Amino acid sequence: MKVLRVHIATVLLALLTTLTHAENVLYLYIWNTYLSDDTVQRFEAQCRCRLKQDFYSDNEEMLAKLEAGAIGYDLIVPTGNAVETLLRKNALRSLDKSKLPNLKNIKTGFRDPWYDPGMNYAVPYATTVTLLGYNATRLAELGLPTDSWALIFEPRYLEKLKGKVTVLNSQRELMAAAMKYLGHSVQESDPARWDEAKRLILRAKPYWATFSNSTYIKDLAIGNIWVAHGYSSDMFRAQQDAQEAKRPFAIGFRTPKEGAVLAVDSFVLHKSGRRPDLAHQFIDFMLEGTNAADVSSLIGAGNPNAAAMPYIPPEIAGNPGIFPPPDDLRRLEMLRDFDPKTRRLLSRMWTEIKVR
Amino acid sequence: MARARQSLWLWAAALAVYAFLYLPLAVVVIFSFNDSLLNAEWVGFTTRWYGTLFDDTEMLNAAANSLFIAIAAASVATVLGTMAGMAMQRWRTGFLRCLPVLVLTPVAMPELLLGVSLLLFFRQVLDLTLGLISILIAHITFSIGFVAIIVRTRLAGMDESIFEAARDLGASPWQTFRRVTLPLLLPGILAGFLMSFTLSIDDFVITVFVAGVGVTTLPLQIYSMIKVAVSPEVNAVSTLLMALTLTLIALASKLAPDTLQSRT
Amino acid sequence: MNKWLVSLPPTLFLVVFFLAPALLMVGASFQQPGDFGGLVPAMQDGQLTLSLETYRFFFGDWIYAEIFGRSFLVAAATTLICLLLAYPLALLIARSGQRHRNLLVLLVILPLASNFLIRIYAWIILLGPADLLYTPFAVIAGMVYVHLPFMVLPLYNNLEQHDPALLEAAQDLGAGIWTRFWRITLPLSLPGIWAGSALVFIPVLGMFAIPELLGGTRDLLIGNLIKEQFLDNRDWPLGSTLSLLLTAAVLALAGLSARAGRPRQGNA
Repeated sequence: MKVLRVHIATVLLALLTTLTHAENVLYLYIWNTYLSDDTVQRFEAQCRCRLKQDFYSDNEEMLAKLEAGAIGYDLIVPTGNAVETLLRKNALRSLDKSKLPNLKNIKTGFRDPWYDPGMNYAVPYATTVTLLGYNATRLAELGLPTDSWALIFEPRYLEKLKGKVTVLNSQRELMAAAMKYLGHSVQESDPARWDEAKRLILRAKPYWATFSNSTYIKDLAIGNIWVAHGYSSDMFRAQQDAQEAKRPFAIGFRTPKEGAVLAVDSFVLHKSGRRPDLAHQFIDFMLEGTNAADVSSLIGAGNPNAAAMPYIPPEIAGNPGIFPPPDDLRRLEMLRDFDPKTRRLLSRMWTEIKVR
Repeated sequence: MARARQSLWLWAAALAVYAFLYLPLAVVVIFSFNDSLLNAEWVGFTTRWYGTLFDDTEMLNAAANSLFIAIAAASVATVLGTMAGMAMQRWRTGFLRCLPVLVLTPVAMPELLLGVSLLLFFRQVLDLTLGLISILIAHITFSIGFVAIIVRTRLAGMDESIFEAARDLGASPWQTFRRVTLPLLLPGILAGFLMSFTLSIDDFVITVFVAGVGVTTLPLQIYSMIKVAVSPEVNAVSTLLMALTLTLIALASKLAPDTLQSRT
Repeated sequence: MNKWLVSLPPTLFLVVFFLAPALLMVGASFQQPGDFGGLVPAMQDGQLTLSLETYRFFFGDWIYAEIFGRSFLVAAATTLICLLLAYPLALLIARSGQRHRNLLVLLVILPLASNFLIRIYAWIILLGPADLLYTPFAVIAGMVYVHLPFMVLPLYNNLEQHDPALLEAAQDLGAGIWTRFWRITLPLSLPGIWAGSALVFIPVLGMFAIPELLGGTRDLLIGNLIKEQFLDNRDWPLGSTLSLLLTAAVLALAGLSARAGRPRQGNA
């Protein structure tokens, strides 16, 4: 018994040492389906290292996991407001621009975001719009509009869609959609306006199937769901999947005319990461035109990299859901974090929305 | 005692329940051979998803992690749980009267609460980086109680006279333990190990809270696959996992048939 | 000497990794949420930052009580359905011959061999095309499916110990099959029912994966709420408070069921 115990202890120790960060590994915490396998393989071949990814489908989820002690990620891909939060927490390493010669490829419009003017901490990677994806064939049959948030908020449309609509399981995103539909800013924190939004949501909720941050991709592609509130890159993927599986319908996605949330996702270096050198190498790799183009061609996200544009197929470059035209851009807003008090109130309202 | 003939309706009702238990699992297994990426409807037969499984490094990594954690956690939990089971059976005075409560409460609690409290503890007190160690500790914590129950049940079922006989023959407590108690207890201990192993490899709820960077376990991997990807690869890994745990449970039932009767 | 050697290691381990975290949770419910999430330390700049604010927030309106209530309802429904489904099975197993019995028991336990998530996934596959996904039905079906074996085992364990002589005597005295069940089998099986119910009711209270994957827009249960506080909202004090209250409820229930499940004197 005692011998067995000692034996086990040695085996454990040996295994433990081999399993901990021993090799050339870069740890990346990134959105679901935001980096294609192709790109990963090319980088791994070039750096002769391994890239390990963990995924999240909501900024809140990512921040919560980091807060809960997920230490050791070299790179994270937060949206602007999350970058702000991380900066305030002093959680990010500043960039060593000497290692990022390709930084010059970033389009001028993206070089001075409000959360990181001058790109000292964050390198823009992709942009998405939170919009409506839909089963174009079905909706055409039903004669429903596809260009307005009314599609998910108005009972007269929802009647025909009962049980076939999903919305994002995200406090900020759903409230933002409601706010835009009501004609307010997504940063609105006036309780009266919140109440208005809440009533709008609760009125529509009985028609919705569920709250979903990621399952809607496959639900749309399979045909279980006909309208989904989600990210443009996910809708692109659903569109591709449905085509590949030869489903008898087509998936479309559009930015609603009332406006929507624009997300700019950037690479940041977390202070707890152990390989900032590899991280810089990866960022510079991703800044090259050919590699940066992947995020549009393969993932269907908007691209802040000027050098990537020539490599992007025209049907993607011209897709207004992916590359919003100036008209749309005027109506798009980026989310900014609230203070803890407001967050708690919002969370309380969110609970109410979920329970009623 | 067996009854001569069971009423037909009893058989029918029981059969219906068995069908209810197995139909969904059968569907999972069958659809693991579906030749369709979206797995929405049956297209054709193929075994390629099992092939993709072995190319999927994420999955293999998760499987390796799960296996390692399960073996390590089960080992420690079995040792500690056996001790606890013996202590609960033998000594019930003084402060040790509280031992059953301490040991059994983690078993009775919803796993969610264990996960949450451990998360708080790891972060606020130990400032431990979440990862392999945190998962290990969490799994050991909830497994100890199960092993203890199994061991205690087995001890309770043993004939006291054997120990008296050993003592009468001049054996010291340690000798009695090593040469009488332990061999008799061994099937129970092994059953406890297998139970802990199964619980650990299967655990999702607690692991969700205490898993850290770069350490995925199989259940976590399956969870993210269910939510995002949906290819029959999920079915394939499910089928394989079922086969594995099935073998283990069958083993456990052979080793200690009486321990499977009651979990309370 | 022997006593301490054997009982100390597990005790120590559990005190450190179970009791201490539990106490920490109590403390956390009195702390303030940090600016970016997490907790504000109890002592900051020499001042105690503890407050009852989270409790006030919780008791401030009915919404949280409503969720607790709904969770209890779901747990009760699941337990009841499990009982109805498990009873015939347990009866059959208890009354079967020795060699059949082991096989039947194994067949009940085998579904537990599949990963819990897989069992949920199976229902996603089944219910999707039937348009029953994301409904309360789906949640209950999932809950029942996952917990059914846990109801069967204690029930069968109890039924097995019933003395058939009692039933034979009743039959001789002219009692019909239903009377025999209602007045002899059922009352005698109560301890088993309580034990099985506890094994179903309590875990169901803490579930979040099933409502999350199978449930619709109104199927949020207390487990989801707690999980959200830690893994989405970053409101740890609220999460701790909710956990604490859930723990209290569970302990009360466990105590009740232990008391009810104690075998009465003179049982067969």
